[in-house]
Amino acid sequence: MTARLPPGLQLEKVDERIMTLNVGPQHPGSGHMRLIIQVDGDRIVSCDPDPGYVHRGEEKMAEYRNYITNIPHLERPVIHDSCNILYPYCLGVEELLGLEVSERAKYVRVIASELNRFTYTLYWLAIYGIFLGHSTMFMWPAGDRELAIDLLEKLTGARVTHSYFVPGGVRNDLPANFEDVCLRQINYLEKRLKTYADIFYDNPILIARTEKTGVLSREDAIRLGTTGTVLRASGVDYDVRVKEPYDVYDELDVHTNVLKNGDSYDRSKTPWLDMLESCNIIRQALEKMPKSGSVRVKLKPNPKGGNDEVYKRVESGRGSLGAYIVSRSKPEPYRVKLSVGSFRNLICMPYLLKGEKLGNMPAVYWSLNYWPVEADR
Amino acid sequence: MSDPENITEETETKPIVEKQEDLPKFEKDQSDKITAKFGSKTEIAFVKPDRIKVNVKKEDILDVASFIRDELNYDHAESVTGVDFPADKEIEVVYHLGSYTDPQLSRQVLSLATRAPREDNPNPGNDSTILPSLRDIFYSVEFHERECFEMLGVFFEGHPDNRRLLLPEDWADLPPLRKDFAIKGR
Amino acid sequence: MSVIAPKFRLGYFLKSLTDNIFWIIILLTLVGIPTLMLVLFFIDLPVLNGTLLTPFLAFTMIFHPETSVPLVKSLLYTDFFKIAAFPGFGFAALLAAGTIFIERKLLAKLQLRVGPLYCGKVEGILQLMADGLKLISKEIIIPAKADKPIFWAAPVLFVATAAAFVSLIPVAPGWVIADLDVGLLAVFAIIGFFPIITILSAWSANSKFPFIGGIRALHQMVSFEIPLILSLLGAVILTGTLNLSKIVESQSNYWFIAFLPIGAIVFFISMLAELERIPFDLPEAESEIVAGWLTELSGMMYGLVQLGSYLKLYAFAALFVVLFLGGWQGPMVVPPFPAEIITHGIEAGPITVQVPGLPITTQEMLNGTLWFTLKTGAVIFFILIPRGVFPRIRIDMLLSIGWNKLIALAFINIFIALGLLYAGVLGPGGLL
Repeated sequence: MTARLPPGLQLEKVDERIMTLNVGPQHPGSGHMRLIIQVDGDRIVSCDPDPGYVHRGEEKMAEYRNYITNIPHLERPVIHDSCNILYPYCLGVEELLGLEVSERAKYVRVIASELNRFTYTLYWLAIYGIFLGHSTMFMWPAGDRELAIDLLEKLTGARVTHSYFVPGGVRNDLPANFEDVCLRQINYLEKRLKTYADIFYDNPILIARTEKTGVLSREDAIRLGTTGTVLRASGVDYDVRVKEPYDVYDELDVHTNVLKNGDSYDRSKTPWLDMLESCNIIRQALEKMPKSGSVRVKLKPNPKGGNDEVYKRVESGRGSLGAYIVSRSKPEPYRVKLSVGSFRNLICMPYLLKGEKLGNMPAVYWSLNYWPVEADR
Repeated sequence: MSDPENITEETETKPIVEKQEDLPKFEKDQSDKITAKFGSKTEIAFVKPDRIKVNVKKEDILDVASFIRDELNYDHAESVTGVDFPADKEIEVVYHLGSYTDPQLSRQVLSLATRAPREDNPNPGNDSTILPSLRDIFYSVEFHERECFEMLGVFFEGHPDNRRLLLPEDWADLPPLRKDFAIKGR
Repeated sequence: MSVIAPKFRLGYFLKSLTDNIFWIIILLTLVGIPTLMLVLFFIDLPVLNGTLLTPFLAFTMIFHPETSVPLVKSLLYTDFFKIAAFPGFGFAALLAAGTIFIERKLLAKLQLRVGPLYCGKVEGILQLMADGLKLISKEIIIPAKADKPIFWAAPVLFVATAAAFVSLIPVAPGWVIADLDVGLLAVFAIIGFFPIITILSAWSANSKFPFIGGIRALHQMVSFEIPLILSLLGAVILTGTLNLSKIVESQSNYWFIAFLPIGAIVFFISMLAELERIPFDLPEAESEIVAGWLTELSGMMYGLVQLGSYLKLYAFAALFVVLFLGGWQGPMVVPPFPAEIITHGIEAGPITVQVPGLPITTQEMLNGTLWFTLKTGAVIFFILIPRGVFPRIRIDMLLSIGWNKLIALAFINIFIALGLLYAGVLGPGGLL
């Protein structure tokens, strides 16, 4: 080959036996990222994840906006879990600016955060079903998700990208009669969630396909720094809501679901158990919430933080989501870094997929609770 | 960023409006262990409830990181952040370390920070912005360090695979998170 | 309205009308009249009842009922009608179209949605026609390095093989296109073609994903052919013949499924695997290998493959009914036609159809067709349901089922059949 290659491209010799597959962005089974998989027959020899197709430079753009205009900007990585991705940012900014959040606002935040856990996890579960070829398991969670989105629309005004959390509280109070509607819909949603056990989690073909595949042992899960449901499915009892409670989680009774085996089946079951737990949390929060009070703090225009830095974390649907904010006495933050659960779990992908059968690839890969847009930021 | 002088009992409340002068005991114990072992090589930036920050020079970071992992039981890195300080001509790389196994440390996040010299015309991989990689000590930093390399131009020595992760393959401009890379139109 | 014809001008419209009329007249005179001359001069017109069947006479005969009914009846029993309309391609295609519609509606209700709703006045019944028109109108894209003759031929071969399979199935007594004495053996031979066609189509597309899909399809179909054949041997043992019509006739007292349930189950599972239905739809696994061996087919080639698939589905379900559920046997529910209809025609009020020779079909045929359709419908229903309930199976689990478990069960079935035969319970000279 005497032709010069453009920069960034490299020449690769084609092996006779090993075939390189691009489970690429243009693939019904990949999400918005690429996995360069090399197969030998039916065995995966190596897997090289190639994220970055949805990289938009969120963190760089956050340095050009002040603390308030960053709110609709920073929620874009996960649009339907937007409350959870703004949560650590708001907590951090409150610490930097020295703001005090009212009790009622904290409860409203907890309710919104748990509702967002539904919208994200049901979407993930729907896609997990369709990756395994189960079209009913795609339709049912996608349909039930509408209940949670409906509640969020009543609460915040938008179905996704709510922009609901602001430093100092939330943007607006609960609408009239929200508690009753919420309670009714959560009760119905819990009944629907329990039917998933019949069609999906007790389905013998699903159990045969996902049990004992992609096994992540406890030591490996800790060493690889995984987080969220992937970690809890491997036997590590760690949930940020319990270990480092923020807002009013120390007054609520949160039970952590820990499963022992660390295979794809457990990783697919933990988010469902977490959702059932969220129903309880919302019910408790609705009971204990103070009946009146303001939910927002009046801010001066262009608030500035001091020469300080702060790192706050929150449990989102994918795992612990941290925001590291460095401020240097200007209205704009000096550096905002979002430490997202999907990016931390990305390292499991080449680790687990090596040596797996090609047929197990979607079961393992999507069970890592990976949201490509969030990992790319 | 000076060393604090008082030691009072541990305050476990959430931070309130006025800044306090007394320091939490448990975190102070941790930071004391580090200064006891390494003395002047490390500098404790702050000790707050649940958060400690340790500044280290890049020559010593491997020793400090091994000490933190073996003696203090921190077992994984939550994230690796690079912050660009053009005024100091340095790039700071902060490792946030956490622990899953030690129940006393489940709330703590220890920030381990080093600085690398910064050049005005960067040539990522081939100039003086080099830091030793912590991948052999904390395996979980592998992809985070790759991202730091491509976004800020900090080369991690000893990392098995210093390649682009998020940026497209044909990116030929400055590393984007540097302050002299300006977004067009702003 | 103006979006459809934004530049409507009356002058242009009238011009186009006159253009059309002009061209129609030109074509009729320049092409139609010579053709008519050719037909009248060179083709011998038949002689009916001493008169020459000119076109004029043919038209009057068609519109005169008492001469047209025997004509229609004679047409019904020709081979062409059997192949094209009933029980051949027309009937099978109608059932296949009905299957597709029912499948979509059934799955929709199972998944809490509605299914096709807008095409056609009644619950989206014309959706299939709309899909067919859409597929016809799409461009057929052939990959540049594909092996073109094989790539073009593969879907056509697929439909042809499926149609050959359909031609062996007896629907009503005497109504089968190809009444072979080795009918069941011919079925096995034709089923053996399907993996070859699949792998040819997949390989000739010269692309990775179809290749993987084709290899998977080959593995799947070949490994399930053996249990398929073995499970049917039980029925052959009990009747001693391979002729499908005779197998149905010998089920007049009881259905074979009562004594060979294991064989029926093995056949059902193997049938699902041969048809590439969920849970066995690996060759078309969407989330792993894009669309498997159908990836590079577009437009009408894809349409042909879908048609072939559903014809195969009908044929397999019909085979199940013929071999295990008694084919067309069933109690006579069609009332016998009164004698006056046959001689005088139907008299109903002010409008009477005085056509001797009605009805066109016989009572046995109607009854047999009715029962056959009902049973086939039930079997197709059971084939459709797993699609909403199961995820997809993996290739190694599939192969272990096909080679290990199903062959063992099929052998057990054969031993049961042999036992029943030699104990004198069933079969020729038996109790039943």
